[in-house]
Amino acid sequence: MLKNRSRPEVMAGFEDDATTFTRRGLVLGVSQVALFSLLAGRLQYLQVARSDLYATLAEDNRVNVRLMAPPRGNIFDRNKVKLADNDQDFQVVLIPEQAGDLDATVEKLSRLLGFSDRQKKDLLRRARRGPKFRPLTVAENLSWETFSQVNLNLPFLAGVQPRVGDRRIYSYGDATAHTVGYVGTQTQRDIEVHGNAPANMVGRSGIERYFEAALRGEAGVRHVEVNVHGRTVRELAFDPGQPGADIELTLDIDLQKFAHERMAGHSGSAIVMDTQTGDLLCMVSTPAFDPNMLSQGVDAKSWNEMVGHERKPLMNKVLRGQYSPGSTFKMLVGLAALETKVITPDEPIECTGMYSFGGEDFHCWKDEGHGPMRFEEAIAESCDTYFYEIARRLGIDNIEKMARRFNLGQPTGIEIGGEKTGIVPGRDWKRANYDAGWRTGETLITGIGQGFLLLTPLQMAVMTASLANGGLIVRPRLIKNTELVSPVPIGLDPQHLALVNRAMYKTVNRPKGTAYDSSILINGNRMSGKTGTVQVRRISKDERESGVLANKDLDWHLRDHSLFVGYAPHNNPRYAVAIVIEHGGGGAYVAAPIARDIMAELLRNEDRVRRGEIS
Amino acid sequence: MSLNTTGSAREGAFVFGQGLNWFLILTVFLLGLVGVGTLYSAAGGSFDPWAWRHGVRLIIGIFLMLAVAALDVRVLYNGAYFIFGGLLLLLLSVQLFGDVTMGAKRWLDLGIVTVQPSEFIRLGMILALARFYQSIHQDVVSHFQNLFVPALIILVPVMLIINQPDLGTTIMLAVSGIGVLFLAGLNWRYFAVGAVAIVATVPLVWQRLFDYQKERVLVFLNPERDPLGAGYHIIQSKIGIGSGGMFGKGFSEGTQSRLNFLPEKHTDFVFTIYAEEMGFVGSVLLLVLFVLLLVQLAFIANQMRSQFARLVVAGIGFSLFVYIFINLAMVMGLAPVVGVPLPFISYGGTSMLTFLISIGVVLSLERQVRVEMSRG
Repeated sequence: MLKNRSRPEVMAGFEDDATTFTRRGLVLGVSQVALFSLLAGRLQYLQVARSDLYATLAEDNRVNVRLMAPPRGNIFDRNKVKLADNDQDFQVVLIPEQAGDLDATVEKLSRLLGFSDRQKKDLLRRARRGPKFRPLTVAENLSWETFSQVNLNLPFLAGVQPRVGDRRIYSYGDATAHTVGYVGTQTQRDIEVHGNAPANMVGRSGIERYFEAALRGEAGVRHVEVNVHGRTVRELAFDPGQPGADIELTLDIDLQKFAHERMAGHSGSAIVMDTQTGDLLCMVSTPAFDPNMLSQGVDAKSWNEMVGHERKPLMNKVLRGQYSPGSTFKMLVGLAALETKVITPDEPIECTGMYSFGGEDFHCWKDEGHGPMRFEEAIAESCDTYFYEIARRLGIDNIEKMARRFNLGQPTGIEIGGEKTGIVPGRDWKRANYDAGWRTGETLITGIGQGFLLLTPLQMAVMTASLANGGLIVRPRLIKNTELVSPVPIGLDPQHLALVNRAMYKTVNRPKGTAYDSSILINGNRMSGKTGTVQVRRISKDERESGVLANKDLDWHLRDHSLFVGYAPHNNPRYAVAIVIEHGGGGAYVAAPIARDIMAELLRNEDRVRRGEIS
Repeated sequence: MSLNTTGSAREGAFVFGQGLNWFLILTVFLLGLVGVGTLYSAAGGSFDPWAWRHGVRLIIGIFLMLAVAALDVRVLYNGAYFIFGGLLLLLLSVQLFGDVTMGAKRWLDLGIVTVQPSEFIRLGMILALARFYQSIHQDVVSHFQNLFVPALIILVPVMLIINQPDLGTTIMLAVSGIGVLFLAGLNWRYFAVGAVAIVATVPLVWQRLFDYQKERVLVFLNPERDPLGAGYHIIQSKIGIGSGGMFGKGFSEGTQSRLNFLPEKHTDFVFTIYAEEMGFVGSVLLLVLFVLLLVQLAFIANQMRSQFARLVVAGIGFSLFVYIFINLAMVMGLAPVVGVPLPFISYGGTSMLTFLISIGVVLSLERQVRVEMSRG
């Protein structure tokens, strides 16, 4: 505590403290004097004793080393279509010191560039104010015509230098925004992370960010001789450096573009994946943004608008969106039930539209009920009652185990980072996160893919691929020359898988199936799949009695998520598809038709390639 | 030291200008002006882009310094832990917040200056350490159980900023903290043990360094290793200083520094420009000005009557010394390039503000030298 002290006994202690302090201070003081003498000695050595040497060195110090940014690697799709490349950016710079008659030069230059009076005055002001030796950027993004006119007139434009810079161009704009990503200008922090080599741009998201090291290449070095005023006299040596490496993606840009356009107006994800290799043929997250614009730099207002937007245009929902899978999870619950023999494929379970358990009512989506349901119809018609019952028989542990065998709750291992893991709930998880025990009611909800369970769209695609390829977990692949890892078998009974595949076939291709309106037939090939509708709000008892509100009567953010997962061709699956539309409404009405159109486009293209119509 | 001073209740009250050490203020102001002049020259004889901003910051900083000087010593003492804690939170928030604003992790944008909390934390740390040593008796300073709190006060901020790839600031913070422990009278043996431990962990630290940091150390040991790359800074800086000769090339007449041979000429290597243009005589004069500042701080520290005030003033002085010495040794090729600014002269808002506010704290303590505190 502080107080104004006058008691002598405290004084004694204070004297002791001061002595210790003074002694230590003296030690530091003496060391400081010694070190300062060292500095003075060094100065004497550099500036007096060896000053002639350094003066000579300074005279000879005419070699100026200039590091040059290497061209950044290009990004291609699987068919070598360019998705990101560098465009030349024609610029004109002015070095005031070398201009001689500055007014005359500015006057001539302004005429060539078609400057207004205000632009001219502005340029003159900038040229007068800054350091005279520093190149001043006069104009950027010039047309080739203007640029060559300046070049032609160079002899009359003292101090003017034409310059060719780099600019990143994304030919497909929004369609590849999240996957390919975008770049920004180098900041101090980038220099600290990536080293001091100059780069015109640094990747900020997607492939551009996670493959920065490969794309950036190594800086070139130019040694130029300069005179005492710093003017370049001649070039002595030139090392072009190492241009950045090109990267080939597994994307099929035609399909990507098609899917992106088909998703217009929706907020969500669309993925098409090769069921054997994990190659991602299309990976779309909407709404997107224009990477060309972001790469040029946006003002804070537009940036904040994007960050704060309800539909999150900057987020790559394929990797970072997490949703309850809803009915698309029923295949896994079904497989677990068959494997543990809590049900046989032929045992009927009666659906009355409602399932009572522990004093609570669990509703099936079909109010009037499905009647007696067997395994295949239960999936095809997406009967909730059936799955409440088998989930109850299974218990959460068996459901959790099956989900974990499908590698859910874990990152899929795609090459670009930022992936979310989703949540596979269970007793331990509930204890750790809610400090509460698991309730059987929660098992029932998990049985229809709702509740705590969360998956990313990419995980849904991988899960679907596993169902289609005979029970193998593949690692999604976005880079064409990433080494293929051999898929991990889940260890499912082929007969059980066959049942599930038949049920998914019926879902899309039988009149009673929930996605019958989305069936396709292309060259004998059909699609199999499963719809999902995920409720994001609680429906109160009163609302049940007075009639559940239709999605169209609700605010956007209260509407159901619309999901569809599937694969094609049905008898020889090669492509898995996963569609998640945030607050889109019923899975059958929004997500399934999008999947249908994307899959049809893919199969049709393939057919045309096969018949040699296109290459 | 007289024993018959008695404090009065109004001791801490501030009357403008009264009891302020104007000589100290003048020293600091002169150093700042040297900075403005050198930066004017660095831009090829132009106030834009650095010199005018440096000048504006100097003025703002001096007002802030005077405002801090007006603080009641009780506020500094009682608030020491809160100031430290608040700065820690700020540091933490910048780390979290930084991810959102993309790339600019260490900075907090406040208009004319972008503030780097990792600089400010040094002052907070010195205050907190001094506050701790005021609260325990001198006899028990070296007791083992009294090591934990100071260790935490130093290590927590060090750990927070070590995540940012900024070696210089981290080292400066740790060294400043250790200096306070030394001044507090911690047993010699701890420092001996610490030194041995540091030598032992060198291989571990080496592994954790970024490549560019390793390169800087290797090149310092042998600049010729990479004369056009990383060793370039050191060689060019030596040529710049050496070619200045006895009387220098004259204000704004330097050729070496201005020819873009030196990339960081306005920040860490600002002394090179000064030395080239002002020569040996001017450089020694600048050294003398710095020594004058440090000697004043040493005398003030010695006049203080509480351990708290002594340690704060001496800690600030020591921290300043370390910055000045490391920076000058670096540009003269006596120490590796670690990215430490030259106080009051290098361009950079946070460094300037931190040092000026620190001097403000010294002024406040000196003004209220007669307010005493019991110990233990």
